[in-house]
Amino acid sequence: MSDFSIIGKRIAMVDAAGKTTGAGKYTDDLTLPGMLIGKILHSPYPHARIKRIDASRALALEGVVAVVTGQDAPNKYGILPVGHDETALAVDRVRYVGDNVACVAAVDETTAEKALELIEVEYEPLPAYFDPEESMKAERDLIHENRPHNLEKDYHHVFGDPEKGFAEADCIRESRYIANEVTHAAMEPHSTLAAFELDPYSGALGRLTVWSSTQVPYYLQHKLSLVLEMPMSQIRVIKPLVGGGFGGKSEVIPLEIIAAVAARAAKAPVKITYTREEVFWAHRGRPRTIMDMKIGAKRDGRLTAVAARVVQDGGAYCSYGVVTILYSGALLGAIYDILNVRWDGYRVLTNKPACGAMRGHGTVNVRFAFESQLDEIAAEIALDPAEIRRINLLQPPCITVNNLRVTSYGLPECIEKVVERSGWRERRGKLPRGRGLGIGCSHYVSGAANSIIRSDMPHSTVNIKIDRDGGVVVYTGASEIGQGSDTMTAQIAAEVLGCTLQRVKIVAADTDLTPIDIGSYSSRVTFMAGNATLRAAEEVKKQIASAAARKMNCVPEDLVFRDDLVFKRGSSVSSVPSGVDSVVAGRVEGQILRGSLQQKRKEEVPKDWMTFEEAVVAAIDFHGALTGTGSYAPPPESRGGSFKGAGVGPSPSYSYSAQVADVSVDEETGEVTVHKVWAAHDCGRALNPVAVEGQIIGSVWMGLGQALEEEMVWKDGLLMNPGLLEYRSPSAVESPEIEPIIVESIDPEGPFGAKECSEGSLAATIPAIANAIYDAVGIRLREVPFTPERVLAAIRARDAAAKKLDLTEGVDPTAPTRFREHGGALWFRGKGPKRHELDPARRAEQLAGGDD
Amino acid sequence: MKKELVELKINGRRHELAIEPSKLLLDVLRQDLDLTGSKRGCDDSSCGACTVLVDGVPMMSCTLLAASCEGQEVTTVEGVAEHGALAAIQRAYGDWGGAQCGYCTPGFMMTVKALLAANPDPTEDEIRYALSGNLCRCTGYSQMYEAVRAAIQAEQKGREQGVGSRNPS
Amino acid sequence: MSLPDFKLLRPRSLAEAVELLGKHVDVQIVAGGTDLIPSLKQRLFIPAYVIDIRRIAELRGIRVIPGQGTEIGALTTLTEIEHSDLIRRDYPVLQEAAKTVASPILRNMGTLGGNICLDTRCLWYNQSLTWRTSCGFCIKKDGDLCHVAPGGTKCWAVFSGDTPPALLCLDAELEIAGPAGTRRLALRDFYTNLGDARMKLARNEMVSRVFLPERTAGYRGVYRKLRLRGSIDYPLAGVAVALKRSNGHVEDARVAITAVNPAPLVVRGVEKEMVGKSVTEEIAAAVGELAARTAKPLTTSALTPEYRREMIRVFAKRAVLEAGTK
Repeated sequence: MSDFSIIGKRIAMVDAAGKTTGAGKYTDDLTLPGMLIGKILHSPYPHARIKRIDASRALALEGVVAVVTGQDAPNKYGILPVGHDETALAVDRVRYVGDNVACVAAVDETTAEKALELIEVEYEPLPAYFDPEESMKAERDLIHENRPHNLEKDYHHVFGDPEKGFAEADCIRESRYIANEVTHAAMEPHSTLAAFELDPYSGALGRLTVWSSTQVPYYLQHKLSLVLEMPMSQIRVIKPLVGGGFGGKSEVIPLEIIAAVAARAAKAPVKITYTREEVFWAHRGRPRTIMDMKIGAKRDGRLTAVAARVVQDGGAYCSYGVVTILYSGALLGAIYDILNVRWDGYRVLTNKPACGAMRGHGTVNVRFAFESQLDEIAAEIALDPAEIRRINLLQPPCITVNNLRVTSYGLPECIEKVVERSGWRERRGKLPRGRGLGIGCSHYVSGAANSIIRSDMPHSTVNIKIDRDGGVVVYTGASEIGQGSDTMTAQIAAEVLGCTLQRVKIVAADTDLTPIDIGSYSSRVTFMAGNATLRAAEEVKKQIASAAARKMNCVPEDLVFRDDLVFKRGSSVSSVPSGVDSVVAGRVEGQILRGSLQQKRKEEVPKDWMTFEEAVVAAIDFHGALTGTGSYAPPPESRGGSFKGAGVGPSPSYSYSAQVADVSVDEETGEVTVHKVWAAHDCGRALNPVAVEGQIIGSVWMGLGQALEEEMVWKDGLLMNPGLLEYRSPSAVESPEIEPIIVESIDPEGPFGAKECSEGSLAATIPAIANAIYDAVGIRLREVPFTPERVLAAIRARDAAAKKLDLTEGVDPTAPTRFREHGGALWFRGKGPKRHELDPARRAEQLAGGDD
Repeated sequence: MKKELVELKINGRRHELAIEPSKLLLDVLRQDLDLTGSKRGCDDSSCGACTVLVDGVPMMSCTLLAASCEGQEVTTVEGVAEHGALAAIQRAYGDWGGAQCGYCTPGFMMTVKALLAANPDPTEDEIRYALSGNLCRCTGYSQMYEAVRAAIQAEQKGREQGVGSRNPS
Repeated sequence: MSLPDFKLLRPRSLAEAVELLGKHVDVQIVAGGTDLIPSLKQRLFIPAYVIDIRRIAELRGIRVIPGQGTEIGALTTLTEIEHSDLIRRDYPVLQEAAKTVASPILRNMGTLGGNICLDTRCLWYNQSLTWRTSCGFCIKKDGDLCHVAPGGTKCWAVFSGDTPPALLCLDAELEIAGPAGTRRLALRDFYTNLGDARMKLARNEMVSRVFLPERTAGYRGVYRKLRLRGSIDYPLAGVAVALKRSNGHVEDARVAITAVNPAPLVVRGVEKEMVGKSVTEEIAAAVGELAARTAKPLTTSALTPEYRREMIRVFAKRAVLEAGTK
């Protein structure tokens, strides 16, 4: 059943023109009359009590309309019901450098920035925790009083009998892997515009409208309601174009609440757009993860057990943390058939910006450790790394030991395809020294089967309205963030209704207009919002079919909707006009001469076909307004087990990936060049191959960034690289060719068989590169990213000729002899005198000495 | 600081503006002229989302003082479309997946426009090199190369036939 | 991020620019803006006046002065240098260095003069005002302690220009314009190797032109740059090599390094090691050692100092081999 007219076709994104012309509006592009600019004052301390805030000097500055602090909105919130530990602005305590302290709303950016300088805050510094393993030992000065040992959450899962499994193994590898912290770095810095309606007579505040760069407008509406103590019905959240999310906009980010709080105080619209540095502080990226991994295997390659202890450095707030840590366990072994699994997960609080969900949520780092170690085992038992993966495949349909229901499983074909395309068999082992091939696999959810806020509510609902001239409007809460969700929605609606794509207009992500959808995260949109769209379209189609069938003297089941026509199944092709002509004719006549057109058609009996528009008119004449609703809730059997933490991991369906990376390593410099990555991804069905390939390439590329270049560098709670210059997102020059290979397993429950394609590929890239480096030069890298110095250090260690690099050799004798890794704990020793040039006293002194 | 009168020529149109001398071209475009196509993505002149052409040369409008562009021709993404229709490169970026979230896209449009003006038939390496000053976080750049090639072909075909090609395949 | 308030002055001639420099005290010069503008956003400078010299046409362009060498105006963009046939033919090391600077867009803006006068950089310095507030500031700006070398009184911020090491290899001279007219200074005498007061330029002076002597025209040249990303990045270590060969033997040779000290430095002892010999692996390795000994990187930049110094050794060795044998 691959005979589709719109599904599976290479289609340009429906919103592409707005993006290439610059006409499309993102949040920061919006303005309102009387709009103020908000700027946030951030904490200079990683951990401190706020003793006093005095904003009087700031308020006195001309152009400043309002200054708000934590006291203006003290209600706690958080994305997870178990993690309500944030306030819009710090109430009495700051927990990381960059934590939000106050916000100024002023007539322009310059004034707001100047006003920030005038706010006086007195802090009492507290001891801070930066290393998760140190933080876990904390007895006092806890980051949150209700989290002993700064432990956000720990889980301990045992499936099968791991001890027995390891006892049966012929080969066991055990080692520690570290993946350093990375962030989304979406090109659009977060932005929010909040405006209250004012009663023209009393000036009292009315409804609130918020435009925001968000992946989750409905969660934002919910949290705003919580913090502002307003009913949700009084809050409208609109998502304009969003310049990339990758998870960084998948929860409520402080500025979104702060803008509303400031707008309430200022009684004027307030827009806040983060600086790039603030984006890094808002963060919610992938945590630094320490993984102690142990895998056992039989000599024949069968895996007998896996055990992992995973510690995530979560930062100062819970964010998605509980989910992140659980994903690192749930998807650890479930890609393969492993009967014995032990997993201990620790989500730890530290005095750094909160980590959260980032593309491949929770699975990426453990996949790196697992797939790398699997390669080590293959090497030890002299098995082809592709083969050891094949030996351990699941036999679907099946349920894994941790209760994940696998309905479609394209992994075998993915492995086969990348092995074939990369010339794995022919080339591996025969490449010149310094060049190698490596393989890695991954999998990911197509949305979570259990929503964050437990309820029986469907996760997606879609409404469709069809106008008299055949215009189809789809109302969906799904958030287009560049991944193509609007296009996917339009395609599904058009395919079901058999109309052209041009007829379909998408109204998305506006809480006043669109039915609830829990958002664009965990790769849920195609599967869930897609299914809801499918059902809504089918419901409307049924109404059209019954009206059309009446006109065509047949039963509705006999009708085919396709190419903008409705015709009787089996009617001879020649009697059906070609689609294009009928569209044109229908449009012209339909608008102006509808009456006479219908008249004319009435005389032509019996009819074998109608245009889509005629059928719609017939249906509207019969039913009145033509609308339909569809919703999607994951089936109960997909929702997983009942053990503690079982809620995270289950999905209605899983995607699978296999990749081969081709790399070179310069043994003298440690520089790694990735020549090419072959990436096969089982997306169920590719609804739009251009979009699917774009998502695969983008995921692989982002994995490549994490593998080679990207790393948030911390010194005592200070982020050393809070900008796109020093946080290195790969440029076009070193980005390799990526060959996307689509594998279609046609999922039984996905819309047209489709499932996830935007995240799963990322996790396979890092181990594929690690394994290729091993193949090239025989070094096993256990810390990501593989920067040249880490690679070189490993090469030197390998050679045992490791000439120790002596930093002091030949150094200028006047230079200090001791270099410390970082600036030291300045927080406890007092700071250098604050006398920068914006200090009014200093400025006055300087001007006095000036020339005019 | 006192505003000063500055005359800027943007997309072929003259604008007389009263602006602070410290105001950046990007802010003038976005705030004073509502030309919001040019984007701000960073604060350290690294990302290229604000790229405009100054006398035909790609430059970062976030790194230029608006007042120092007096007397020069500034072209923004709003000036790329031809007589209201998408330019070949704009259409190709849409058709070939060169734009996903679209935030970096205006910057790429300007860079590619300048590239093709200087070198109508670049090799893939030349395209990579030319695009290496613009960061994109969605696409991994790959589909952009196809888009640029498709645009070149469409332009050539357009010159032969007088119309641009519509579909990718 | 907005810029601090300042008055903008836009001279049309060098004479006018110099006059303005003499007249005002609290001044910054802006040409391409790629170094100054981000620094203004970060409030590393809060000048009362900014002199925009982009309109001074006389400081733009490359021309040969017969019998003397080649003159490059300080406002010549790095893109112009990258694409100049003359530079590619006569001073290839400069062309190689120029084309590695930042990214194509930034090279369209950035000028040779700007690259020479580039402010020194440090992870503790090139940060926003808010960020620097949280580290207690540093010795280079607003503070009195150094985070890179605690306890020291010297600023170790690192010079990160790509073209100066190439220019040093070519024995370039600078023309410096000031109220008293112009003076010439060998580039190798221009830098102080101090992170804060980085160059010997009076407050009322500006670099106006660069001279490349005819003597070094035709020297083979190679520039190698360490960076994590293929574009955009400042160098984390850089090595320039220029040498003249005759009959397979080295007649003259120079190596200079960048991004590992507060100034770009000529590596001493290279001539002694190389002149009169044909380049071999051993000689190249020896030059690599000399270069590494000249490098004193600290934790001012990404990657560890040890690694950056090691790469100076490897890159110098490779660059010498390439220039000496290709």
